[in-house]
Amino acid sequence: MKLEKDDLILLYRNMVRTRKLDELTIKGLQEGKVLSFYHSGQGSEGLAVGSAACLRKDDYLWGHHRGHGIGYLIGKGLDGKAFLAEHYGKVTGSCLGISGFHFAEPEYGALGAAGTIGSQFPISLGWGLAAKKTGKQQVVLACFGDGGSNRGTLHEAFNLAAVWKLPIVWLCDNNGMAQYTPIKDTYPKDDIADLAGGYNMPGVVVDGMDIMAVYEAVEAAVDRARAGGGPSLIEAKTARYRSHSEGSPDVSHTVTRSEAEIAELKKRDPIETFKIKLLKQGVLTEEMVDQINKEADEEIIETEKFSLDSPPPEPSILNKLIYAE
Amino acid sequence: MKEITYVQAIAEALAEELERDEKVFCIGEDIQTGTFGATAGLVKKFGPDRIMDTPISETAIAGAAVGSAMTGYRPVADFMFADFMYIAFDEILCKAAKWRFMHEGTQQIPVVFMAAMGGYLGLGAEHSQSPVSYYMHTPGIKVVVPSTPYDAKGLMKSAIRDNNAVVYLYHKALLGSTGEIPEEEYLVPLGQADIKREGKDVTLVATGMQVQFALNIAEQMKDKVSIEIIDPRSLEPLDIDTIVKSVEKTGRAVVVDEDTSRCGAACEISMQIVEKAFDYLDAPVQRVAAKNYPIPPGAMEKFVLPQPQDIIDAVEAVMG
Ligand SMILES: Cc1ncc(C[n+]2csc(CCOP(=O)(O)OP(=O)(O)O)c2C)c(N)n1
Repeated sequence: MKLEKDDLILLYRNMVRTRKLDELTIKGLQEGKVLSFYHSGQGSEGLAVGSAACLRKDDYLWGHHRGHGIGYLIGKGLDGKAFLAEHYGKVTGSCLGISGFHFAEPEYGALGAAGTIGSQFPISLGWGLAAKKTGKQQVVLACFGDGGSNRGTLHEAFNLAAVWKLPIVWLCDNNGMAQYTPIKDTYPKDDIADLAGGYNMPGVVVDGMDIMAVYEAVEAAVDRARAGGGPSLIEAKTARYRSHSEGSPDVSHTVTRSEAEIAELKKRDPIETFKIKLLKQGVLTEEMVDQINKEADEEIIETEKFSLDSPPPEPSILNKLIYAE
Repeated sequence: MKEITYVQAIAEALAEELERDEKVFCIGEDIQTGTFGATAGLVKKFGPDRIMDTPISETAIAGAAVGSAMTGYRPVADFMFADFMYIAFDEILCKAAKWRFMHEGTQQIPVVFMAAMGGYLGLGAEHSQSPVSYYMHTPGIKVVVPSTPYDAKGLMKSAIRDNNAVVYLYHKALLGSTGEIPEEEYLVPLGQADIKREGKDVTLVATGMQVQFALNIAEQMKDKVSIEIIDPRSLEPLDIDTIVKSVEKTGRAVVVDEDTSRCGAACEISMQIVEKAFDYLDAPVQRVAAKNYPIPPGAMEKFVLPQPQDIIDAVEAVMG
C-alpha cells in the first residue's frame, strides 16, 4: 500500500508518542510508581511503530519487550493510558493492575507477554495455527530479540510454522545486546536472518532505524502470509540506547558501554532521521513538528494523571482471575 | 569472624571452590557481570573459560552442566531467576535426578543448579516464585535454601562438593543482608537443620526469607511466647529429626514456606511432624505459605505471599 501524506505523519507522530511515553515510564520507575521493571524501548520506535502499522486490528501481535511492546500497540492504534496504569498497578490498567510489565491487550491481538524470553515462539505458533484454521486472513507478528533467537524454542516454532505454512511474520529486533552480553559471543554469524534458509522461508535484513525500510519489509511479509504463502523472517538492525533495564548497569560483559558508543548509535535515531526526511520532502513543516510534540506532551500529562487517579485493584479480584467459569 | 553480605558469601564460596578444584566451573547467562552479584568479579580471577557467559539457552546451560558433570567436571549452572529453571526441567528433573539411578548407580552427576528465588520485591508472577517443592518432590535431586550469609557460603561449598545434583536457591530479598562468618574455611553439611533461636512453647520451621520474618516475630512476641526457630537449610535431605525433637519439647508447630501452599514444603514437613510426633502435639500443626495464586506485581503481592502477620496469627492459633 502506498503511504499517503497523512499516513507518514501518523508514523512520525506515533514514534514521538512512543518515545515520550517511554520517558514517562522511566520517570515513573524512578519515582517508585512503576512496579517491577522497565526495559526502555528508546532506539526501536521505528521498528515497533513501522511494523505494527502493517497490521489489521484483528491480527495477532507479540511485541518485543523493549518498551514492553507499547510502540507496537501504539502503531496498532492504542494509546498509553492502560499501559501506564497497568505499570502503576491500577485497576484501569490493561490487565487490572495484576500483570504489570507482562500485560496483554487482547482487543488488539496482543494475547500475552512473558517473563521468559523465548516463550513467544511456541505460543505465537499457536496463534498462527488458529489464524490458519479460522481462515479470516489474519496474520501473526511475532517479535523477539537477538538474545531471544538463542532459545531452542525458535527452531521448533520456525520449523512447524514453515511445515504448516502458517501466516506468521517473525521479526527480530537485533540491537546487538542481550542484557549484558553482546551478540558476537552468542551467535556465530552476522545475520540472524540467515536462520530462515534452514526452514525454507524468506529471510531479510533491514535497517531497523529506518521506519520506511521496516514498513516495506514487514508489509511484504504480511501480504505473503495473508495470501497463504507462509512464514517469513525479518531481522531489523536496531540500537538499544539505555541499559538493559532501568537501574541495571549498562555494560557489555563487565565493560561499561561508553558515552561515545551510545552517541554513535543515536546518530541513526529513527525519529530524528524520519523527521529530517519528511521535512525535506515537505510532508512536515517545523510548525507541524512543534504541534505534534506539543500534543504528545499534553497526552503524556493526561496519561500520567489517569494512572495516578486510578485506584489499585481489590484483593477479591484474585479469585475471579484464577479459573474460568 | 568477619561481616559479609549474603550475596558476597555466595561469591566467596564459588571463588574458594573454583580455586580448590579445577574441575569446578560456572556457566550461565550474564554471569560475568552477575545479575544479582553472586558471580560478580569471578571472571577477573578465573577467566571466561571457567566463568562462562552463555546465550539465552536454558536447556543448553542445564544440559551442558549435566553432560560435563557425568564426565567428572563439577559445574555450577546459574539460571538467574529460579522461574527460568522450568525451561530446563527435563535436564534437571529427568536427567540430573534420575540417571544415576537408571544407569547402574555407577555414575555421578555432581552439578549445582543455582538461581535467585523469592518475592517481596514486587516483580510479578514470572519473576517471584520460590519453586522449592518441585525439587523436593523429585527423587534424586537435593535442594538447598540458605537464609543467612553463614549458611549461604557453607551450603554452596557443600553443594559443589556433593556427588549429586543440588538445586541451590538463594533469596533475592536477602542479597544485601549481613552476618558474620569465620575467616577460615568451613562447610555447612546438607541435611543438618539449624536452630536459629531456642524456645520452649512453639516450634517454628522456616527457610530462606521466612527465617528473617520468624526471627523478628520471635523477638517481638518474646514476652508472650517462647518460639523455637528451626531452619532445615536443605529440604532434601530433610533433617526431620531435629524438627521432631523440637516439637516433642514444645508440643506445638508452625511451618512456614514462601512457595505456594498446595503441595508445598510446608505440607510435607507438617505431615512428617504429624506422622512422627502426633502424640506430643497439643494443637493442630499450622501451615503458613503463599496462597494458591500466581504472584501479582507490586503492592498486590502481599495478598498472595505469606506476611509476618500470618505467622503471628498461626503462632497465636497453636497457643490457643
Ligand atoms: C528464559 C529467560 N532467560 C533469561 C531472561 C532474562 N532476560 C530478560 S531480557 C534478556 C535479554 C534479552 O535480549 P534480547 O532478546 O536481545 O532483547 P533485548 O533486551 O536486547 O531487546 C534476558 C537475558 C528471561 N527473561 N527469560
